[in-house]
Amino acid sequence: MKCQRIFPLIAVVVLFGSVHALAGDVKIVANPSIRADSITAAELRSVFLEEKRSLSDGSHVEPVLAKGGEAHEAFLKQYLGKNDDGLQNYYRTLVFTGTGAMPKVLASDVDVVHYVAKTKGAIGYVSLDALVEGVKVLTIVQAGPSAERKLLTRVEPEYPETLQRLQIGGMVRLRVSISPKGSVDGVSLLGGSPILAEAAIKAVKQWVYAPGPSRTTAEVSIPFDPKR
Amino acid sequence: MRRRIAKLALVCFCTGLTALHAQEFKLLGRTVQVHGFASQGFIYTNQNNWLTMHSSQGSGAFTDFGVNVSMQVTDKLRIGAQLYDRNLGNLGEWHPSVDWAFVDYKFKTWFGIRGGKVKTVLGLYNDTQDLDFLHTFALLPQSVYPTDLRDTSIAHLGGDIYGKVALHHHLGNISYTAYAGHRSDSIYSGYAYLLTQSFVYFRSMGGLQYGGDLRWNTPLKGLLVGASRMNENVSGQGSFVNVLNPAAGLVPYQVSSKSDWTNQYYGEYAVGKLRFDTEYRRYFRDEPYTSNSEASNDVRGWYVSGAYRIHKRLELGSYYSRYAITSLVSGALAAAGFPDQTDTSLPANHIYDKVITARVDLNRFWNVKVEGHFMNGYGAGTYPGGFYPQVNPTGFKPNTNALVLKTSWSF
Repeated sequence: MKCQRIFPLIAVVVLFGSVHALAGDVKIVANPSIRADSITAAELRSVFLEEKRSLSDGSHVEPVLAKGGEAHEAFLKQYLGKNDDGLQNYYRTLVFTGTGAMPKVLASDVDVVHYVAKTKGAIGYVSLDALVEGVKVLTIVQAGPSAERKLLTRVEPEYPETLQRLQIGGMVRLRVSISPKGSVDGVSLLGGSPILAEAAIKAVKQWVYAPGPSRTTAEVSIPFDPKR
Repeated sequence: MRRRIAKLALVCFCTGLTALHAQEFKLLGRTVQVHGFASQGFIYTNQNNWLTMHSSQGSGAFTDFGVNVSMQVTDKLRIGAQLYDRNLGNLGEWHPSVDWAFVDYKFKTWFGIRGGKVKTVLGLYNDTQDLDFLHTFALLPQSVYPTDLRDTSIAHLGGDIYGKVALHHHLGNISYTAYAGHRSDSIYSGYAYLLTQSFVYFRSMGGLQYGGDLRWNTPLKGLLVGASRMNENVSGQGSFVNVLNPAAGLVPYQVSSKSDWTNQYYGEYAVGKLRFDTEYRRYFRDEPYTSNSEASNDVRGWYVSGAYRIHKRLELGSYYSRYAITSLVSGALAAAGFPDQTDTSLPANHIYDKVITARVDLNRFWNVKVEGHFMNGYGAGTYPGGFYPQVNPTGFKPNTNALVLKTSWSF
């Protein structure tokens, strides 16, 4: 009976898991000195392009790069819109015109997590299945067309026990509609692992943002890491 | 002596390839980074000698290198400096210079200031023209980025304001730079070298340089368009020998521009492994010679280039570059018989250059380029265009083909 329930589940996971891998999601890891729990995609891009060295809450940040691999390629494509050559040239332009520094480049997810954990303000990216002890995982918020809204109350999703036991993780991407008062009054699924979506939507509906002049939308990515 | 220095530099370059890495250390709790680069080229031309080299015999007098130190003092404050040296034929002559050295304070993404010696932003590549490892081509299009005249636009001692502003309604973003300062040319630069044929020897050359750049990262991913403007008020001091009265020996010489400006318009489209660039530059300089005579040079250059990375280690590129110069004289100069030069179809007043390049990346830090130039015209007027009479004493031929080999390395 138990097997009968689990096999369709695994089939769904395999199917959507491959879709998920193509989407190229990664986990954004940060040193605990960074106060924010989430970061907008635009802010993340600015940090990695060295346009800013502190977040909107004042936390010092410094980017950490992976030397290569799928997570690296996915991160560049999804958040920076550059390939590896383009990014290297970009940093060299900064370095040799005096307008920026070469970020730390590390060989593996383990090295990235280890460095980020011990370095104040460090922010990096790792693959979804990487162990993330000693660092915090930031939620990516894709700000809607209106304006960025500060997240005041964040409720973490409950990990479905069966999925966690089966080591099934992934990222759920949602579009959130935020009322002028700051409550979440609508959530729709954009992508990621659909079998984790229910838990993610339930949690996000309880989030509270700062009040704003009008209704806004935001895109958020919720990581589910079975090893945490 | 010069050959010995060149050999020494080459040895240092080769050994450095394996010995040096980017260095990083802590100073007062802050990270200090040390980076460097070097390039070595070789040019062979079949007709005219080019870029002040004796290139028709094959010349390796085509070397440059730089090293910089920088530190992020706070989240907003950054300091750094770079030393640069080069030898290009009869230019540079291994005299090192401070390439840039400045303090940078970025208040916000949309507003920052820099003070010190700052690279001048002009078009797509003016501030990175020496950084061979960033470019597909061994020589950038000479109609817009003449390497023999790098001093005229490369940097200024003064200040910049700069920033980047995101536009609403998904319209991309705008980056701006405005600057003012003092330009200081090396006496080993192309313009000073050209005038030695007229027995003019500069002791110093430079002056006020100010302008701005505006570039728009459009909503179409990979498309950038922009415009730059540079105004200058440049003067030179030195001495010259009056050929009509050589017995008087060296007499003081001074020259200054009445009007001196550059406009540049550009676009870049980069998507995946493919990149297209195009730029147009117009440089105008009006120079009084005596109280009732003056001469003006009007230089117009443009190019279209494309590059495609066909393999992780191989990129192919090509460009077409057009350079045209017209010169007008008035007053006593005209009366003395100096003619206007307005016919840009003459080889003396243009250079049309077709170029193909292969760039091989041996690793992330070291590349080798092989490049062919097929040039028509030599543009040897009263302003330098790459072909100098001193190294072409028997006169110019209308066409020149060039093979350029270059390797560069950075850490």
